[in-house]
Amino acid sequence: MATAMAACGQDDGATSSAPKAPATIPELTKDPLTLSFIWFDWPPAHALEDFANAEYTKERSNVTIKVKTVPNANWHDAMFTQFAARKTDFDIPILDSQHIGEAVTNGNILDITDFVKKNIDVKAYNPYLLAAYGQYPQAETGKRDENASLYGLPLLGDTWTMIYRKDLIGDKPPQTWDEMISVAEKCQADNPGVSGLAFHQANGSDAAAVTYNTVNGVYGGNLWDAKTRKIDGVVNDAAGQEAMDVLVNKMKPLTAKGSGNWFIDEVNAAVAQGKACIAFNWIAASGGLLDPKESTLGTTREQILDKLGFAPLPSQKTNLVPLGGMGMHVSAYSPEANQAEALNFMKWFEQADIQKKWAAAGGVPSRTDALESPEFLNAGPFNKVYTDSVSRMRDMWNVPEYARLIDIENTNVNAALNGAKNPKDALNDIAKEQQAVLDSSGRKGGGGL
Amino acid sequence: MSESAPLTIDQPGQVASATPPAPGRSRRLSDRWLAGAFISPALLLLLAMSVFPLLWALYLSFTDYSATRGGPAHFVWFENYTAILTSAQVHLRALTTLIYVVGAVALQTVLGFSIAYLISRRTHGRGVLTTLFLVPMMLSPVVVGLFWRFMLDAQFGVINSMLGSLGLGQVEWLTQQGTALLSLIVVDTWQWTPFIMLIALAGLTAVPKYLYEAASIDRASEWFRFRTITLPLVWPLLLIAVLFRAIEAFRLFDLVYILTSGGPGVSTETLSFHVYKVAFLGFNTGTASAYGILMVLVVLVLTQLYLRYLNKLKED
Repeated sequence: MATAMAACGQDDGATSSAPKAPATIPELTKDPLTLSFIWFDWPPAHALEDFANAEYTKERSNVTIKVKTVPNANWHDAMFTQFAARKTDFDIPILDSQHIGEAVTNGNILDITDFVKKNIDVKAYNPYLLAAYGQYPQAETGKRDENASLYGLPLLGDTWTMIYRKDLIGDKPPQTWDEMISVAEKCQADNPGVSGLAFHQANGSDAAAVTYNTVNGVYGGNLWDAKTRKIDGVVNDAAGQEAMDVLVNKMKPLTAKGSGNWFIDEVNAAVAQGKACIAFNWIAASGGLLDPKESTLGTTREQILDKLGFAPLPSQKTNLVPLGGMGMHVSAYSPEANQAEALNFMKWFEQADIQKKWAAAGGVPSRTDALESPEFLNAGPFNKVYTDSVSRMRDMWNVPEYARLIDIENTNVNAALNGAKNPKDALNDIAKEQQAVLDSSGRKGGGGL
Repeated sequence: MSESAPLTIDQPGQVASATPPAPGRSRRLSDRWLAGAFISPALLLLLAMSVFPLLWALYLSFTDYSATRGGPAHFVWFENYTAILTSAQVHLRALTTLIYVVGAVALQTVLGFSIAYLISRRTHGRGVLTTLFLVPMMLSPVVVGLFWRFMLDAQFGVINSMLGSLGLGQVEWLTQQGTALLSLIVVDTWQWTPFIMLIALAGLTAVPKYLYEAASIDRASEWFRFRTITLPLVWPLLLIAVLFRAIEAFRLFDLVYILTSGGPGVSTETLSFHVYKVAFLGFNTGTASAYGILMVLVVLVLTQLYLRYLNKLKED
């Protein structure tokens, strides 16, 4: 089927070789079938498997859903090494929004533009959310190009939430980034043993890079000029330098000693053990903070919530927040029956009532009606943060070179945060090295160094 | 078979020793065929799992092939090799790897030999002690990396807790440039010192006792006996252990991946870790193949020089 699809595949200029999915879902098999996803190991992955097996099987009793999980650091490799072999043991890869370019360019996932037109109510979504998890070439921040091709649909929305100690800094969260830093500074001084801030600093995955990108956005910086593919001179302009200075010289001193390799779990652990005044983490990973078994802040969920508050990120020069979450896509190498089932699952999943059920099950939906539904808003104290943040989101680059761009940024920001590099030099190195990656498409030999 | 039996009767010596009949030409061929049949599975496995991939990697190293982009591989000849050998990024990783190899292997050799020497002088409990010392070597490097990561955690780790109880300050073991590489060396030393110890112990126990007895009669000092008997006899065996450890340390990946991810920044990225990034982040298969081939060449050349030295030692 993939071959047949490739034959009639549409080419997005010189960039796409993705085979095309049919507009109409082919006849589904009645034989037992396992529909496999691949994701990294975190609570939403387990929630998805439980939810889909409980709900989707009501409609398709012969189907079993299996969400295969790998460590976060291996997520990209686990998917793309199988794509490289042109054979996958999963049907629905859950790609980060930034992975789309690489998968589309290599023809690893199906072009579902026609399928979406015929089966999905696109008006039910914030256009940028639909674009971020499916469109390639990448959409302009906050917009969707309706003429562009779609290669995925939203599975899990996400952004950062600010987690603050109400008992230490008061009920009202800081409104600006500068205010947040001074509140954290005072809290740290007033509470020995508690650090002012906790945030992602590790050099694995996209940890340190997302932190810098967030501060960069808040202080009015840009990651690149997408139209001219220019990074050098953009990310390291005055706003970018100010953001790096704020991150390294104002925020880092307020973090715990040795936190230079912290990511999602370590930040959550610091909050749960009462070791941080203000923390930043992905909403989808924050559920565990309310579990009394994992927290020293209270013996019940209510007691914990008396001490913990969740708020959208403070703004400064802009109010941008990082776009997180992932979309679901269809592997170009899956058997025909599985591809048909995958399309059917996607159509089923994006229905209004299913999105609300997904919200109630612990997922973060993307349809506007589900985001504003009581099922979602009442499911967690941080869910309103997500709904309020949707219009403020900004993503990174989703170009095929993403994996290398993020590694360059991660390692340099991590080096600056841990004193291995001067912040200014780190930012200039990011700009120079990322630009070299983007400019190296015609290079003969030595690619990847 | 029965036809060949009478031929041996004419040769009394052979009859007396009940030697089986001399095999005929066809029998000898048959044995060879049998020998070939026995080794062919291993040979095929070696060809399929080692020789073919090596040759394929050699071919790819001269191309711009990318495993994910697919399509034909275009020959770039020595461009990949030139780029690697002139890359400042590679030079930095090579220096890190060199410091790591020298530091880790030197520490392991000193410690491993010292422990083996002490154990060899014990008459009771030698077996139990040796077994206990070997435990770290039996563990998976990933497991070792994970529990050392917890132990070295600046906030919650047991090492800093112990330092705290001694009145010393917290050390950022894994996140500071000065300590991260040292931590890797310490963890690797914890795991692999037993290997050196084991080989050294084998050498020490093989030293003939009469040499020490002769030295005692001559009233040679402990240091003199060690310097003129123990060390020269154990040295060649110890060098082989060092060679194995140096090769292992040169291709270190797992501990870096688990403990530091190459950080802070890239300050603990070894050559192997860098090859992994080139191969799987950008899927630059051609470059990664050339990088891998160069690493194999370095090991081969160094091993040859080392073996020559070892042979010279034996001849002397």
